[in-house]
Amino acid sequence: MRPILLKGHERSITVVKFNFDGDLLFTASKDHIPSVWRNENGERIGTFNGHKGTIWDLDVCRFSKRVVTASADASAKLWDCETGECIKTFVHHGPVRGAAWADGSNMFATISDPFVEHNAQISVYDVPENDDPSSYSDSPRLEIDLPKTSDGNVSMLPTLFGSTSMKLSLLPLIMVQSVYMIRRQGRTDFTAKLYDVVDLKHLKTYKTDRPVNDAVISETKDHILLGGGQEAMSVTTTSGKVGKFETRFFHLVYEEEFGSVKGHFGPINALAINPNGRSYASGAEDGYIRLHYFDKSYLDMKDPVPEVLEEGEEDDDEMEEDRESDSDSD
Amino acid sequence: MADLADEAASLDGYFSDAPLEPEPKYPPLNESFDRCVIITNLPKVPEAKYEKLGKVVLKLVSRIGPLANYEGSDFTGFFMPFDKEAGATVGCAFIEYETAGDAKKAIEVLEEYKFDKNHALHVLPHERASHLADVEEEEFKQPEPEPFKEQPNTMSWLEDSCQRDQFAIRHGKETAVFWNDGREEPVLDYDGAREKEAGVAWCEYYVQWSPKGSYFATLVPNRGVILWGGDNFQKLQRFAAPGVDFVVFSPQENYMMTNNNNRNDPHAIKVFSIQTGKCLRAFPLYPSNFLDEKLSEQEKSNIPPPPFQWSHDDKYLARMGKDLISVFDVPTMKLLDKRSLACDGICEFQFSPKANIIAYWAPEHKNQPANVNVIELPSRKSLRQKNLFNVTKCSLVWQENGEYLGVKVTRHTKSKKTLYNNLELFRVNEPGIPVEMLDVKDAVMAFSWEPQGSRFAIIHAENPTSTKVNVTFYDMFRMSEPEKKKGKKKSTGKELIAEVNKVETLEGKQCNCIFWSPAGRTIILAALGDSASGTLEFYDCDNKSLVIKEHYRANQVLWDPSGRTLATTVSQPIGGGHFKFAMDNGYIVWSFQGKQISQQSFETFYQFQWRPREKLFNKKETAEVSKNLKKYEKQFNAFDEAKKRKLRLEETRGKRKNRSAFRATLARLKEIRSNMKQERMALLNGYDSEDEGNFTTKEVTIETILSSKEELVY
Repeated sequence: MRPILLKGHERSITVVKFNFDGDLLFTASKDHIPSVWRNENGERIGTFNGHKGTIWDLDVCRFSKRVVTASADASAKLWDCETGECIKTFVHHGPVRGAAWADGSNMFATISDPFVEHNAQISVYDVPENDDPSSYSDSPRLEIDLPKTSDGNVSMLPTLFGSTSMKLSLLPLIMVQSVYMIRRQGRTDFTAKLYDVVDLKHLKTYKTDRPVNDAVISETKDHILLGGGQEAMSVTTTSGKVGKFETRFFHLVYEEEFGSVKGHFGPINALAINPNGRSYASGAEDGYIRLHYFDKSYLDMKDPVPEVLEEGEEDDDEMEEDRESDSDSD
Repeated sequence: MADLADEAASLDGYFSDAPLEPEPKYPPLNESFDRCVIITNLPKVPEAKYEKLGKVVLKLVSRIGPLANYEGSDFTGFFMPFDKEAGATVGCAFIEYETAGDAKKAIEVLEEYKFDKNHALHVLPHERASHLADVEEEEFKQPEPEPFKEQPNTMSWLEDSCQRDQFAIRHGKETAVFWNDGREEPVLDYDGAREKEAGVAWCEYYVQWSPKGSYFATLVPNRGVILWGGDNFQKLQRFAAPGVDFVVFSPQENYMMTNNNNRNDPHAIKVFSIQTGKCLRAFPLYPSNFLDEKLSEQEKSNIPPPPFQWSHDDKYLARMGKDLISVFDVPTMKLLDKRSLACDGICEFQFSPKANIIAYWAPEHKNQPANVNVIELPSRKSLRQKNLFNVTKCSLVWQENGEYLGVKVTRHTKSKKTLYNNLELFRVNEPGIPVEMLDVKDAVMAFSWEPQGSRFAIIHAENPTSTKVNVTFYDMFRMSEPEKKKGKKKSTGKELIAEVNKVETLEGKQCNCIFWSPAGRTIILAALGDSASGTLEFYDCDNKSLVIKEHYRANQVLWDPSGRTLATTVSQPIGGGHFKFAMDNGYIVWSFQGKQISQQSFETFYQFQWRPREKLFNKKETAEVSKNLKKYEKQFNAFDEAKKRKLRLEETRGKRKNRSAFRATLARLKEIRSNMKQERMALLNGYDSEDEGNFTTKEVTIETILSSKEELVY
């Protein structure tokens, strides 16, 4: 099925995110105005106006009531998701790179870049849902200074957890999705890597031939989606074919690429899979968001290795014909 | 006494004890004998014929240069000893030349000179002869032959049960040889594991297969060339060739030539015998007098060295020189008949791939028109000469069987402003070698014969820089009955007429290279290079079917020797890491129908080479096989299915193992997470987000919230 092309942002997309229920798609770009779209038909429901800089990240709470955004204007804003009004602005020392809700939606964490004499830092704010917003404190409940060398990106976290003895209960607070997390080294070595978040042990590597900007794990299937493409700065010197601005589908376990989706004409910066597993969205440097609905053939796709032992698998001598079909998507 | 004293006084100073001055000046004694040569193996003649023989020999040796002559001595520089006891000459003569250079020349020229039917002269420098005289004579002992060592069977790979082809790749620091069956992913045969274990590199530069696929040469520029072969690629031979840049094998695999591309090295090119590993002869990069002395160094460096060419049967090795072709007899490595093949103004020559025939062309030269010459060796008989006018450039293309020779002639108009092409087509195997001329109005960019066939294809366009070009196919034969045109032209039916005719033209193509399948029939029209799109068009010339594929930035198209599969590569030169080469390195293997079989990418990819194999079936046997194709097909299909299944099962097993390991990890992580459930629930005010029943009831509430938001938008 043809994807829905979401045109609304004026600059390159930085983040796309579904809410927990999968009916809303939140997007942000460098044009300062995050938007929210209906997953069902791609209709834009509203925008969150107020930031004065690039939006680097956003997160929506468990019940889609409040949204937190991280912006390069050195602030994080808390919004009412229904009305689109800004509840409160949290001023930081430097550009804010990441924002994430804690379980329970009563706390959120941000991570900011170093700025002049200030280090990069992770800040955790208390915003109890049932309290009056005016009673929220401007200062974070917890601040963690990050060493100057770090670039302040959320993807730095594995090393951070390794070095500081943080309480394990903080882990689900910041972590994005599931029990695993992905570390992206893609820009330099064209791979995405899978780690487990408890031991930070490296599990799998997914290799491509272009920089990888984002990766997302499907919650319903053992699949991982990688997005990227040739760096934006060298795009103008080559044709679109070279860029390979594709979403690549890998099998999470076997590390095999089994499909790809073309369409963007700039490197893909952000990917998100709907928690219900029926659609996914990609946002790219070209300023477009493509909302794809999976075909039936993808949804019916089975693991190439059947659960039941195949006849002859343990015993080579039998040569009977018994084939199972490996259906590929796209 | 007084007068005595007077006399003494007058003579004072006349006598002195001092030695006489000046001493007589003798010429320095020349102790060197380098002007002397000794001729042996002369006929032994009785006294009566002594003088006659002397005269003949003297005349012969004087042709080289003047003999020594000493004033006041009757020695003429020539002496032929006579054995009085035997009553006959000894069979040798002493010659002294005026200069050492002449003596040297005499050795070169007169050695093995056929003096008469039974006597070939043997010429020695004096030094060597006197050394031989001192050699102590010993009883000759037959040296023990070295114990016989079984050489690895270099043909073993041809016994592969699946008749697979091999190819070698060079990427990064790796060199590996793969099997390719034309259906599945290539399978690794050998990647230098033995050498890696021993801590040595088995290749540091390019690799080269020998023409029949028996040997695999790897280049190690510091030392030379190593030859591998047999099962597991055992080391067969090493050849010392410092700085080696590339190697050329002789067609029958008896010899190998290394080249280090060093202009200043007098031994830049070395010819080795593969069996013995001995260097037979070394040559400088350029033949003497090839580079005009008047040219500057810059201009000289722009002239490529003329390459050596082997004859098809390993008998001759030839290289172009200035106005000549030097043909060397192998393995003696002496000039054939001691003289070069004179070819005035020669620009390029090509050996026929199947016969000892040389074709060359020379541009207009000293009032002579440009011409193409076909010469037979070793008789040096000119089989055919064709004069051409207004020629700018020619290129010679032999058909693989040596049946036809195509000459692409680029000609200019009188004003020399516009260029146009025509093709001269020689039917070499027909009596008198008839030549047909084919006028092509357009510029011809490429010309290629169908291997084993009589067809050829050209790329042409009105303007050589245009992006859209036409591809035209011609046949050297025409069917007399036009409705039978579709039949195979190769069969020698009665209705075949030896006449060039156009088969068809494909218009508006985007290609710059054409590659016939080694089996004929299929041709690839490819747009290669940096500026091109990498389009690959698979065209079946008999069925007229076309498949279009693409390999972006491809710079090579390589057919496997059977014509079943082909590879397209994006490679970069070794050591020439320029960023424009750095992207998309790798190769794709396609079936001849254009189906992609395998794709591999590498950070740096240098070389891809199919292992050549000899064609062992003749046309008749091939026809026999294609007649019984149905029978073979069944057999092969069954075999393929079985193999496929086995492979799949193996893969499944590996994946299953992988999956269970992953699932175990996952289970552990999930357990940790579920242990924290209470903590999480506390954070959500006791709400269990993982409880499905809980989830659905909440969903309803969320839906109402959404609809209320819709009202807000209105």
